[in-house]
Amino acid sequence: MATYGWAGQILRINLTTGAITTEDDSHLQKYIGGMGMGYRIIYDEVPMETRAHDEGSKFFMGVGPLTGAGVPCSGRMNISFLSSWTKGYSILDAHMGGHIGPQLKYAGYDGVIVEGKSATPVYIKIDDSNVTIEDASDMWGKGTFEANKMMTELCGREFETASIGPAGENLVNYSTLNTSFGNSAGAGIGAVMGSKKLKGIAIRGTGSVKIADVAELRRLNDYMLKDLIGANNNHNVPAVPQSWAEYSAVGGKNRWSGAPGRMWEKAEGGPIDTGEQPCGDINKIAYRCLKGVFDNGEVATKYIVKMGGCSSCPVRCYTQYEIDVLSDYDLPINTCNTCMPVISAQMFYPSGVKDFKYEGDGKLVLNGAMSHAQDDLGVWCNYGNLYREFNWLCKTGKIKEFLPEAEYNSIPWEWEKNCDPRFCVEILRRIAYKEGELATLGEGTIAVQEKWNLGQEWMDMVDSNNQNITYNGYPKHHGPEDSGQIGMLFNLMYNRDCMIHHLTNVENSGAPYEVSKKVMEGFFGEGCYDAKKAYTPMNRNKAKVAKWAFNDKQFHDSATVCNWMWPMTQSPSKARGYAGDLNLEADFMTAVTGVDYTRESLEFDSERISQMLRVMTAISFNIHYGATELRNTHDAIPAWVFDKEPDFQAFQEGTIKMDREDMELAKDMFYEEMGWDIKTGIPTRATLEKFDLAEMADDLAKRGILPA
Amino acid sequence: MEREKGQGFLDAQMTRRQFLKVSGKSIAGLALSASMLSLFGCTQQEVEQDQVRTWAMPQGLLVVNEAKCTGCQRCEINCTLFNDGVCSTYISRVKIGRNLNMHGSDGIQNQNFVYFPDTCRQCEDPACGNACPQKAIYANEQGIKVVDQEKCIGCGACVEACPWHMPTVNPETKKSSKCIACGACVAGCPSGALSIIPWDAVAAAAQEIV
Repeated sequence: MATYGWAGQILRINLTTGAITTEDDSHLQKYIGGMGMGYRIIYDEVPMETRAHDEGSKFFMGVGPLTGAGVPCSGRMNISFLSSWTKGYSILDAHMGGHIGPQLKYAGYDGVIVEGKSATPVYIKIDDSNVTIEDASDMWGKGTFEANKMMTELCGREFETASIGPAGENLVNYSTLNTSFGNSAGAGIGAVMGSKKLKGIAIRGTGSVKIADVAELRRLNDYMLKDLIGANNNHNVPAVPQSWAEYSAVGGKNRWSGAPGRMWEKAEGGPIDTGEQPCGDINKIAYRCLKGVFDNGEVATKYIVKMGGCSSCPVRCYTQYEIDVLSDYDLPINTCNTCMPVISAQMFYPSGVKDFKYEGDGKLVLNGAMSHAQDDLGVWCNYGNLYREFNWLCKTGKIKEFLPEAEYNSIPWEWEKNCDPRFCVEILRRIAYKEGELATLGEGTIAVQEKWNLGQEWMDMVDSNNQNITYNGYPKHHGPEDSGQIGMLFNLMYNRDCMIHHLTNVENSGAPYEVSKKVMEGFFGEGCYDAKKAYTPMNRNKAKVAKWAFNDKQFHDSATVCNWMWPMTQSPSKARGYAGDLNLEADFMTAVTGVDYTRESLEFDSERISQMLRVMTAISFNIHYGATELRNTHDAIPAWVFDKEPDFQAFQEGTIKMDREDMELAKDMFYEEMGWDIKTGIPTRATLEKFDLAEMADDLAKRGILPA
Repeated sequence: MEREKGQGFLDAQMTRRQFLKVSGKSIAGLALSASMLSLFGCTQQEVEQDQVRTWAMPQGLLVVNEAKCTGCQRCEINCTLFNDGVCSTYISRVKIGRNLNMHGSDGIQNQNFVYFPDTCRQCEDPACGNACPQKAIYANEQGIKVVDQEKCIGCGACVEACPWHMPTVNPETKKSSKCIACGACVAGCPSGALSIIPWDAVAAAAQEIV
């Protein structure tokens, strides 16, 4: 039933039978949406023994009550499914921004369950209530850019599209679903769709999201945009001094990188100065983030056309480049991305990078080539592990050892030495098409470790290319370097990189430590917030911060709002003492849905999703390894975290090296806060019953892993 | 653009009439005075390179600088929240979503970053109004063409007749709607790609010798 905020129904598409049905989702609204609904549906419908590419595997593409409702930074979509590449093959999510999530809402759906397998290539066309499975034979084999364009030409320009590339079609674990603007959902969703012969999805919605209290929503929008929002990652002071601002970033660099004299130099019609962007001026917010400069230095402005990003977000974090020099290599010159593919290409060039047209533009030009190729091929990077592992193979010479001689010699190494942008494109192409032994890199960190007999010591080693934060196959995503034990704790919780930005957003905001500390301690109490590289022993308030960030991330992927921007912890407003407003998420939920939410009630609903994640993870580890606990299996921490920087002791100023005993205490406290058994790290019956998840407690009991 | 000084209100009227002739079109070819460029927030180079469009609205000149549009759709959000009390892209009176991927030879799927918001030209002789079998589209006291919701039968003749397909029949209310020059899109544009310049200010700037 349609209500305020929620569309009120989900779509079910069976690719084996061709059946297309809708279901009322009122009973799922307590799981908020997106990730929360996805976990409930996957748990109920897909036995945890199922493997990701099996006939019985399903995925849930979900949005939430705030998606498309006009709330700033609410353009995201979440996709839940079982992993094909991490230890435990448990539940995980892929997430994407852009404009497609809101279209799904406007078409009248809170999500889509896709099940079964098609015999031939197809794409899903959702045109409001007209939902069809269409032939995609002509698109199969094409890159995502061409496939998306073909869908638009067939369906119409009002449709938003997303497609998988050759990597997904070839069942490469590191594969994505991509829009034309470089928004991508990773974690292997490309191969899950590829295994179903599903090339893409095209959505047009002519409907609307109903708002319970429009006046209040408009007031909150105005309040957030004038008083609370900063730049990308909600950095709350400009990188360089601006006349209105009391502070600029300590170190002169953060993601509020727009400034007088920094231009969109390739703008049609001549350069556009990003100028000053004072707090309170809504019409300048889009110039705050000049992400290209943050990513690739001042020289990036030479190639910037404009900034882009997601529907509803005034902070534009996708740099849109025209890198004309790439035409010398017959490579596309326009590229648009914001994450790892546009900052990491130099990892493919261990011999070093050279300038192309301007001093210092080498890294940027290579990244332009790489991000376009990666998006076109639909290759995922596992938050950089793909690049790190290639770099490690080259630097250690292991690549010669692991690859057959003929294959090694077939790699165009002269391109690597000459800093030719085609080199990274060629490596990615081999991965997308599963060519040779090198393509093992695309199967995942665990596959690399197992196939090349690298052992546990490979994940324990102190090496800048080893960022594995557990033994499960994924790296840290803002860990101890940003928030000591807090960052460590939430990095351990998922079945992929955690993608939690709550702490890094504050730590790297650019505001002076004392200013941020006052804000954080105002919210969470004394001792909750350490200075960078000067972290202190574990305490209870840190455990509470970790719990808040962990649960709130689930809210973001369920609502859906962007975790790079939300929550509004800090503010650029001097009048507010730079403090944000942590009630704002609940206030928006109330205004949009008409349900009376408080910060506490919203965290409770979000924690329900955290508990489901934990139960499903425990079941997966039990099924695949006979594990009866998570603390020393799923949550085990590799040795490098404790052994790095041998000249330092833990807690000494200047290091982020962790202390083993202290991290055990951190786990104790965090598990207590979450209502989990301290010994096993598994939720107790009392905890699960508190969240109406008694059947999950029964399931754990049946498997013999419910804590006594 | 050059005009005699000292006519105040009349000046603004004349200026408006001149801009009506090019409403919704590129103003490439027009040489603008320094103060008018400053008022529009653009450069002569942007004008010459076809980046600036203007719409003659009753309360002022709507200036769209294509190069500044970042495609966030906040104009559509604010339009529909303000006018319809819901959030939508399809029924928005200002249109950007449909231009993002493919718009003639432009849009990301044509390998460029050219996309911009488009809206009603407030034509003096409106094709939408002429085509309406119910005579539901009329000019209000400020000269804005509005749809009489009582008379509208949602037939879509206005949508077809408009060369730019700007009116939209709302599938939920079965009524057509079009831009009423409320300015909600302009107020909320985070890149200042949209702005409304009052006619008096345009007229004053137009008095400068080019």
